[in-house]
Amino acid sequence: MPRTVLIGLDGATFKVLDHLCDQGHMPFLDRFRRRAAHGVLTSTPNPFTPPAWTTVFTGRSPGEHGIFDFARVTRIDGVPRSKLATARDIGVETLWSLVSRSDLRVNCLNFPLTYPPRPMAGNLVPGFVRWRHLRHSVHPPELYATLCALPGFDRKELAMDWDLERKALKALPRGEYEDWIRFHIRRERQWMSIVRHLDEHDPGDLLAVLFDGTDKLQHLCWRFIDPELVPADPDPWEARIVELCLDYFRQLDRFLAEIVERAGPEGRVVVVSDHGFGDTTKILYVNAWLAREGYLTWADGAPARDDDQLNVDGHADPSSLFDWERTTACALTAGSMGIYIRQAAGPGSPGVPPDAYPAYRERLRQGLAEIVDDDGRPVVRAVLPREEAFPGQHVERAPDLTLVLSDGGTLSVLSSSRVVRERGDVAGTHRPEGIFLAAGAGIRRGATVGPLPILDVAPTLLHCLGLPIPENLEGRVPAEIFEPAWLGRHPVTTGPPTRPPTRLPRASAHDLDADEEAILMRRLKALGYVG
Amino acid sequence: MEPTRALDQHRAGTSQDPLFDELVTLLEDLTSDWETGFSGEIGRDTRLIAELGFESIDVVHLIVTLEERFGRQDLPFQDLLMRSGRYVSDLSVGDLSGFLRTHLAA
Repeated sequence: MPRTVLIGLDGATFKVLDHLCDQGHMPFLDRFRRRAAHGVLTSTPNPFTPPAWTTVFTGRSPGEHGIFDFARVTRIDGVPRSKLATARDIGVETLWSLVSRSDLRVNCLNFPLTYPPRPMAGNLVPGFVRWRHLRHSVHPPELYATLCALPGFDRKELAMDWDLERKALKALPRGEYEDWIRFHIRRERQWMSIVRHLDEHDPGDLLAVLFDGTDKLQHLCWRFIDPELVPADPDPWEARIVELCLDYFRQLDRFLAEIVERAGPEGRVVVVSDHGFGDTTKILYVNAWLAREGYLTWADGAPARDDDQLNVDGHADPSSLFDWERTTACALTAGSMGIYIRQAAGPGSPGVPPDAYPAYRERLRQGLAEIVDDDGRPVVRAVLPREEAFPGQHVERAPDLTLVLSDGGTLSVLSSSRVVRERGDVAGTHRPEGIFLAAGAGIRRGATVGPLPILDVAPTLLHCLGLPIPENLEGRVPAEIFEPAWLGRHPVTTGPPTRPPTRLPRASAHDLDADEEAILMRRLKALGYVG
Repeated sequence: MEPTRALDQHRAGTSQDPLFDELVTLLEDLTSDWETGFSGEIGRDTRLIAELGFESIDVVHLIVTLEERFGRQDLPFQDLLMRSGRYVSDLSVGDLSGFLRTHLAA
């Protein structure tokens, strides 16, 4: 079975990569893009890492898989509370499970929402897990000792976590830029060393590896990466930053070359990003607007910020910012672009009564859409009700409203003296247009395709693996990327629907399967909770 | 015999609070390679942040670990971590053990 490889480049965009290729900084990618079927890959309605990558590895939309953010928002007495979203919160079967129960092996590296690991055949090292918790997060457990024995392995360099993710969105002092970029150069080396080890000792049938330094660098250093913004006459510091960013992409190019080489002439390699990137100059302090309009009251001591910080510090539940006796709508996290409405838990309870909800939400939606900057220009391009943005079995988990900003920009959940503020420096922010490149046996050389929806990635990978496409996947196998003769010999087949995830999100222990319940009962008995 | 194993065997034979003991064993294992400098015995008054070196993200992961260990995702950890709408500054192992005792029985 020829190997199939998925290379994720978080936030990669053709605007940057094509320029780097044209300038000779990514010679392998330059050759690869010319022989690959390629085109734009359109992200999820909110082009954001957690929902988008989860769509990549489930083939389902966010309303179906239930992931909208790094945080999982639940409503307790109507108040939206956030906690860390994990693999347990994915409401559908993943590619890792599908491949595993087809008697194939998968190596999955650095994807978000893969912690804690679910049963699978192969090896998994999750992304977005702090180094302290890596030992208990890999699959199989004995893999951790193997990784520690790799020459040069450093768990503190490998692991990225939520705190560091947020740091990417902040404006850093000039003195911290170089260390930040070098840190990500080193991180990618750590992941590449794991790729090499697994390729040599347990290659599997599907390798899925995500390099997310692209996103981290582009957020902070966009003005040093975007060819339209790179300083024509940089000062010495700017020149160093430009060069360091190029070093990152040059190294990435070498890693891409090595991975494709290892896939072999019969292998198939698919390179995608979860979303694209572009510039942003504005911050919308949407909670400041909600407070001004009477939807929200700040709790005592809620910090006011007039800098470029977007989220609360640390891991405080952002709902602690608000006085919930006098708040009916708020934004909880910057990345979700979402507004949560407090719905009354019962008659006489605080919040919006159910029969008033539609009119309330529409009034809120219209008000948000009319927000303008100091020059009277609209800041909000669209405000999407959740049924429109995220239809599906988990629509109730989604924000009640999701914003699309005019410059693709970001919102801050913090208090501010102004509703719309110009950033100190131009920053990078997400755009819907990501990348898709595929090359290998049976794939059309140099074909321009798309734009393709991100839902098509999972079916494409399954077909490359020779597996049927479950009938309930929402995307398709883009036939146009394959050579007609090869596709004729390997037609797309449809299979039964995906299974429920091995461990469904559950409200109580009563939803466990028989083996899991037996283990739990033994544990509870040992603790004296059952007879 | 390693000190931790000796302690586990002692606890198994004499434990009056198996839930507390299990929590201590979990915390010892979790923090064993954190390089925090903590060298004492974890007791009911041991504080997660001040003594075991937890940071807020570590508390988040601990919650996930406990949810996995006990097969429950509905435990109201926000009641443990917040007082009067504010996050508590630290948490003792005894606080955590008491919380689990109350809510696992529910």
